[in-house]
Amino acid sequence: MVYNSPVLFDQSETIVESFTVRQDRRKLLIISAVSKDTDIIKPFIYDINGLKEYELIEMNDELQFENISEILDRQKMGTQLYISAKWDDAGKIFTAAIEAGFSEDEIQTHISGEKRRYVYCLKCYHLQEVEAEETDTICHHCQISLEIGPFFSRERKGYIGYPYNPAFVPTT
Amino acid sequence: MYKSTNLDLFSYPFQTIKEGTNYRYSNDLRKLEKGQQDCVVITPEYKKQIIRKRELLKEQPDVRFQSYPHTMEMQWEVAEMLITMAVERYPEHFQVEKNGNHWTFHNFILNETESFILGDASSIELEPLDLIGRHFATDFVLMVHRDDNLYLEVAQESYAALFSPHWNKGMSFDEIHGPVPFVSRTGVPLAERVRNFLLRNVLPGEPWTRINWNLMANRWDVNYETLDTWGPTRSLVTPENAGKLVRLRVEEQFFYRMPRSNAILFVLNTQFLPMEDLALRPAWLEQTYSILSDIPKPMADYKGFTPFIEPTVEYLKNLVEKVKLQTN
Repeated sequence: MVYNSPVLFDQSETIVESFTVRQDRRKLLIISAVSKDTDIIKPFIYDINGLKEYELIEMNDELQFENISEILDRQKMGTQLYISAKWDDAGKIFTAAIEAGFSEDEIQTHISGEKRRYVYCLKCYHLQEVEAEETDTICHHCQISLEIGPFFSRERKGYIGYPYNPAFVPTT
Repeated sequence: MYKSTNLDLFSYPFQTIKEGTNYRYSNDLRKLEKGQQDCVVITPEYKKQIIRKRELLKEQPDVRFQSYPHTMEMQWEVAEMLITMAVERYPEHFQVEKNGNHWTFHNFILNETESFILGDASSIELEPLDLIGRHFATDFVLMVHRDDNLYLEVAQESYAALFSPHWNKGMSFDEIHGPVPFVSRTGVPLAERVRNFLLRNVLPGEPWTRINWNLMANRWDVNYETLDTWGPTRSLVTPENAGKLVRLRVEEQFFYRMPRSNAILFVLNTQFLPMEDLALRPAWLEQTYSILSDIPKPMADYKGFTPFIEPTVEYLKNLVEKVKLQTN
């Protein structure tokens, strides 16, 4: 990983509502870490319909997570990766894929359940999780009021948290 | 807080704007002429600025200086360039003795000496640009050229205007300028246009410059980290106190392509002039009044002076009349 490598955050380009077949790739690698009931994999495999070579890996225990880097490392150029997982697991697989040399364009990620969102306090440099719709919050570390801005830092792994003094907010 | 006292050295930002026309955003980069490619300037405020810069770096090292460990070689390259420029332009103030890679840099204004082995970071206590940067009143940002973009890898700054080395570390030119709301007539975002211009035109031995300006209320540096402190002071400005509280903040920017690392060094020379001192140059006063009274709201919002632009313009209007009465 280098400092400008992609990281997974709630607005990442990799995140999709449903998977699409990339005709320009030689192979499709699907990694699923969710239970079959919530899975979007079946309809996708139906879409592929023998048009492309694909490999499906269903992960259901810790041991498989430990081996994920090994699986990703041995993929050849021209592989398109599909990740279907809950947020924390998706983060692990996505990071392993970037480390293995995938670009963000070569990964589609489908998140089951909630995405996580973080804000970086510019007063004390503390990173904390916030709700998806929150526009301001209080820093858990230094207690300052923070306005959550739209800018994300890969280096700091959060959205900008502008410190402000609530006693002086213009009434307009 | 300091202000520019030698107005001949003050980079008045509206010099190139024709009389009767007003300020709008444009690509205003200008190539530096041969023989005038130096970014080291010693003003009467030099000592004051250096003392303040070093205080800030000492008190808030994590806020004021940021770098990646792999940047040492390019930092040395910048340090070498700055020392060379200083010694050539001001031999009475700066001197360097070279014994192979063993360099001794003398700063006679501050009566200080730095001895180091060029290229050997273990021979100094600070990082190369952090050390040599403390001898110059300007801020430094080193942007590395990767994937058709520029990425911030080193920054030392003490006069931030909604910028933070800590926050902006590792960001691309486009990400740093994310808050810039303007697009060109052809619909291309301004930041993207400027980035492409810099990448194509800033070449080794061909530095460029531009002047950026803003208004500051009672404040030296307006970084993100202290927004809660200075934000509210913007509403304290009145037509009576604007002369002292509001300053024209000018950032003379220089862009150098570093020949060895291919990075672009941004040098930012920040100067302040209180509104009341515009009376010392009546032509500047009239023009600044004219420009500020016609500033589009999105620009004032972006620059952050919307909360005090009205009382400032009111103050300037009164000052223009007062100066006219005195000269008639």
